[in-house]
Amino acid sequence: MSNILSIQNLSKSYGAIQALKGVSFDVPEGSVYGVLGPNGSGKTTLLGILLNVLLADAGTYSWFGGMPPDDARRQIGSLLETPNFYHYMSAYNNLEITASLRSRGLDDRNSVLQQVGLFERRHSKFQEFSLGMKQRLAIGAALLGNPKVLVLDEPTNGLDPAGIAEIRQLIRTLSSQGITIIIASHLLDEVEKICTHVAILKQGNLLLHGPVDEVLRQEDWIELRANDMAALQQALLTLPGSVAPSFRIVDGLLQLTGAQGITPSMVNEHCMAQGVVLTHLVLRKKSLETRFMELINK
Amino acid sequence: MRSLLAIEWLKIKRYRTFWVLIGLFMVLLPLWNYQIAKGIISIGGGDSMGGINLLNTAYSFPSVWSNMGFWASTFITFLSILVIIITSNEYTYRTHRQNVIDGWSRLQFFHAKVIMVVVLSLLATVYLFLVGALFGWVNSGSLSNLFSEFYKVFYFFLLSVNYLGLGLFLAISIKRSGLAIGLFLLYTNFVEHILKGILNSRDGAPIGNFLPLQASDELLPFQLMQMMKSLMPSSETFSDTTYVIATIGWCAVYYLAGRILLLRRDW
Repeated sequence: MSNILSIQNLSKSYGAIQALKGVSFDVPEGSVYGVLGPNGSGKTTLLGILLNVLLADAGTYSWFGGMPPDDARRQIGSLLETPNFYHYMSAYNNLEITASLRSRGLDDRNSVLQQVGLFERRHSKFQEFSLGMKQRLAIGAALLGNPKVLVLDEPTNGLDPAGIAEIRQLIRTLSSQGITIIIASHLLDEVEKICTHVAILKQGNLLLHGPVDEVLRQEDWIELRANDMAALQQALLTLPGSVAPSFRIVDGLLQLTGAQGITPSMVNEHCMAQGVVLTHLVLRKKSLETRFMELINK
Repeated sequence: MRSLLAIEWLKIKRYRTFWVLIGLFMVLLPLWNYQIAKGIISIGGGDSMGGINLLNTAYSFPSVWSNMGFWASTFITFLSILVIIITSNEYTYRTHRQNVIDGWSRLQFFHAKVIMVVVLSLLATVYLFLVGALFGWVNSGSLSNLFSEFYKVFYFFLLSVNYLGLGLFLAISIKRSGLAIGLFLLYTNFVEHILKGILNSRDGAPIGNFLPLQASDELLPFQLMQMMKSLMPSSETFSDTTYVIATIGWCAVYYLAGRILLLRRDW
């Protein structure tokens, strides 16, 4: 799998504030690459540099293995920071400008507007749109002309829950069509649900990057309860194959951790065999949020 | 280049302010000149009041070109403000960024605006030619001297590129519509006159005439000043060619300064 984007050592400061400190990573083709970080961590600065609206102080980047940046941007659908359109023009006419700038045909304007749910309002002026509608139009504009890559900066900003779910679904669909998607977000949930890869930024430093399941390796635990908790604890001591599982009781529930490779069904079977009847059995995953907070607070 | 202009046209053709300002220019230029020709607008009283009108009422060929050319050079302010509004709007609504994000290079964004300045100037010049030809025809009774002193129409084109070019440069460097328009009007109406006064009051050549807009104004001077100048003992004057070169020079300065600014700045 080749890289769509390669970033080497990008740095950028605004006066005394260093917004990016030598960030490097590659974005593989077909991935959904999440750029994750708290507010002010440098996500938008990074995307701004990649789209040539900001100039890096040092470092380089290359799209599609070294395509001239101006040509590359025509192959990329982008939404950076805010939806930017001509306020006195309709959604439909604004997309004509976007398509022309990208040197694309005008034939897919209607289908794109349908995809983002703005077809009925296509002749309304941009200035009459709500925040969510503006955001939808920006996503629609990014989709014009079937770009190979999408760069989306906080794409669900201003959307209602239904809108967020729709955009997520849209991103999954596009990803399944082989489109590479780079998405900046401070919403962990968003990244966890749709990304294959992630880069985590904190105050301009790249903390970690790589496939989501490697970077955010999740520690699972199993939650148990039985009528006879003492018997349950006794039974777990003889759990087969486990590498010294540890457990503790929190709020009347027994949490079994460090039991990699042990499934709830194995636990259930074992307990039954020991004559302990479980009244509660759940596999819990450590939330990304917990992991993220651990990472950025290090 | 054609596609730059085509996209620029897509942007402005649906912008009402564009049509209002263009309309004002197109309506006011002939109306104002008509009233001057008829002595309705006058300085020092017209024939009806028995005074001497200091405004030039000669609209036959060739004086129509210098006379109407001067008034057109004052009305060009409408188009300068238009250029400032259109350009600073891109910054206000951040569409300048989106243009680049969607595939224009920074230079293409700049060149689209430069082309707009040149095309607007060209259209204004053609309009001046049409209105001037009509006035000259009516007042001369024939079109036989149409092309006498016709170079003044070309002067107007240069002047227009100068005024609109300064507007473009101000809009690009200041980014805010109100402030840029304010500074532009302050500069054209007051600051340049003050600077010119200071520079020209010193001994030697009147170098104040070479201030950015004044260099072009010298090509199409106010008729009254022109008359007074010809009566005065000749202080040092420069030829039209010198002012043509100066005008082109200032336009080159706006272009280069704008280009450097846009390439080096974050958007």
